[in-house]
Amino acid sequence: MIENLINAFDAVFALNNLMLMAIGVLAGLVAGSIPGFTITMAVVLALPFTFGMSPIEGLSTMLGVYVGGLTGGMFASILIGVPGTPSAIATTFDGFPMARKGRPGLALGLGLWASFFGGLISAVVLVFLAPTLAAIGLEFGPWDYFMLVCFALTIAASLSEGALIKGLIAGVFGLLVASVGEDHINGAARFTFGFESLGAGFAFLPVLIGLFAFSQLLNDMSDTESAKKPMIAGHHSAVKMEHRKSIALIFLNWLTLLRSSFIGLFIGLLPAAGSSISNILAYDQTKKASKTPEDFGQGTPPGVIASESSNNATAGGALIMMMALGIPGDAVTAVMLGALTIHNIAPSPTFISTQPVLAYGIMVAYFLANFMTLIMTSGALRVFLLVTRIPLYILGVVILLYCAIGVFTLNNTTFDIWTLLVFGIIGLAMVKNGFPLTPMVLGVVLGPLAELNLSRSLSTSDDLTLFFMRPWALFFIVMALFSVFFPLYQSATKAGKRWAQFYGVGFMVCAAVPMMMMEGSFRTGLGVFLLVLAAWLTINKLRRPQLQNP
Amino acid sequence: MKRLNRDAITALLLLVLCGVLFRTTFDIREVPFSEMGSDVWPRFILIALSILSVIYLFRSVTKPPPVTQAFSWARWFKAYQNALICFAMFLVFLLLLPYLGMLVAGILFVFITQSIIGGYAPKQLLFHATVSVLAVGGMWSIFTFALRVVLPVGDLFR
Repeated sequence: MIENLINAFDAVFALNNLMLMAIGVLAGLVAGSIPGFTITMAVVLALPFTFGMSPIEGLSTMLGVYVGGLTGGMFASILIGVPGTPSAIATTFDGFPMARKGRPGLALGLGLWASFFGGLISAVVLVFLAPTLAAIGLEFGPWDYFMLVCFALTIAASLSEGALIKGLIAGVFGLLVASVGEDHINGAARFTFGFESLGAGFAFLPVLIGLFAFSQLLNDMSDTESAKKPMIAGHHSAVKMEHRKSIALIFLNWLTLLRSSFIGLFIGLLPAAGSSISNILAYDQTKKASKTPEDFGQGTPPGVIASESSNNATAGGALIMMMALGIPGDAVTAVMLGALTIHNIAPSPTFISTQPVLAYGIMVAYFLANFMTLIMTSGALRVFLLVTRIPLYILGVVILLYCAIGVFTLNNTTFDIWTLLVFGIIGLAMVKNGFPLTPMVLGVVLGPLAELNLSRSLSTSDDLTLFFMRPWALFFIVMALFSVFFPLYQSATKAGKRWAQFYGVGFMVCAAVPMMMMEGSFRTGLGVFLLVLAAWLTINKLRRPQLQNP
Repeated sequence: MKRLNRDAITALLLLVLCGVLFRTTFDIREVPFSEMGSDVWPRFILIALSILSVIYLFRSVTKPPPVTQAFSWARWFKAYQNALICFAMFLVFLLLLPYLGMLVAGILFVFITQSIIGGYAPKQLLFHATVSVLAVGGMWSIFTFALRVVLPVGDLFR
């Protein structure tokens, strides 16, 4: 591990790589700060520039954009009360009131240092957890992998606020899109309708840019009047950050920082669940744990710390999933997965052992990106104030053309630009009809993996019960089922339904069964522990008086 | 017909798509000695998509989304005006690309689209022209000279 880390340091700290990362961080900080521009869009737009680079340079640049974007989202949240990205929504709750009370420097400082520490905590966990999780991943057979993909799709759908069916449809539609063209196993053409260009299927990048960037831009520009105005009205002068005071406050609120960072990490580990969820969850948990919850929303430091540390920590969790299992932890890592496949590298449980320098290089680059973000934030704040004076339609139309140039460079074919246009229209239609895009992208990315593993399973054994009887496969089925019913549980909890109290207990019991079937005393012990805990919780809940429905 | 809301129409369109695509799975070439035929996976997906679409249709009919305003083409066009302009101009850009090449077609796309959306007063036209030449020219130069990507030149300039 040490030798690999040293080699990775060599690769990441090469002058060329450092320069590319710095450009990436600056681009991420600015893109993340512009309301309406998501981090995914920024990473997607950076992708075409990385084709000519080595894998480590390309991924370092994208990591720079990713980490920079996570921090950049706070500028607009704090200074004007409009979240720069969905990952900075909760930053607005306390960052903006703090700025209005005359402490914008403190709010920005808190956000910056909380982002930095959150990123560092998750980077440390990334270094240690990714190889361990990859070792577990080596136990997976094709049945388990197939079920893992099913779980990834169901959880992505269940996290689509109040639109489970639409999320599932989007995920399955993504699988359908991925099945177009010659299949990877037998080479037979599918759904090509005689078009030669469709023989190779839809390239991943034009689909992704079409869905995320193209449709998002047109959605933002829908309002004719606001598209013509500068993105941020009024004059905002550059603010001096209060670094010392911010660091002191963060150390005073170390428990908030730790709790929120681990919430961010956990959300990042869940397939397709990103920082847009973690920042709100961490804020909510911090408010619940606080002795003064009434201060939240008035400009209290823990509110800013919770949101900013959790959203940056999510990146580490998402990278763990991508490197250890080849499953994207969020939309950005789905793009990175695509970038790796462009370089003929397929992340899987063997990724860390077969590509150690690249794998550890990603970890080192993630560490470094956090430091670079810390250094470059003040400069980026000035660029942010300049860029946001440009009307949205000017920037939007230019970016549309950049998208076209970017996708053309992938295969040097105009067919990819047509794909971009078609999926831009599909993406806009989906967004306007309430269909989430993330499950669809996940379906496109994981479709070939699911088919390959289904084929491998069926060619290895005719026994279909293996999909349900192998411990890991059963574990993922349990996770998938409980994630499907999660929205139902949420609404039952709000309605005060009695059965909702036993949802968690039910999950523990069901998850304990496959754990006890696994090899090794630790997992069996964990299964037994879960069963005992579930029994204890059930008894406690039954003893309590039944909740009255209001 | 009163109950045929937007969700129901989407669900019906999805079901029609599933039906058409399911029919085409019978045209997929059979590969001898393959463990899993090339048609199995698409059929599996289409069956799943059909089931979900039926559930979606059922829900959209039993629990229709609240109707705030009656549908009107004029309002729809106004709401999607910018998107429609961009799509139309992008389509024209794609059709002109083989003849004018990336640089010229790109500059024209940016200039005309910005002018249609933002207005065409002389001052605005000058601003849009400057932005389109600098932005597209700059990006074209980066890809052509720095990244050594051969972008379409256009038949008119060969």
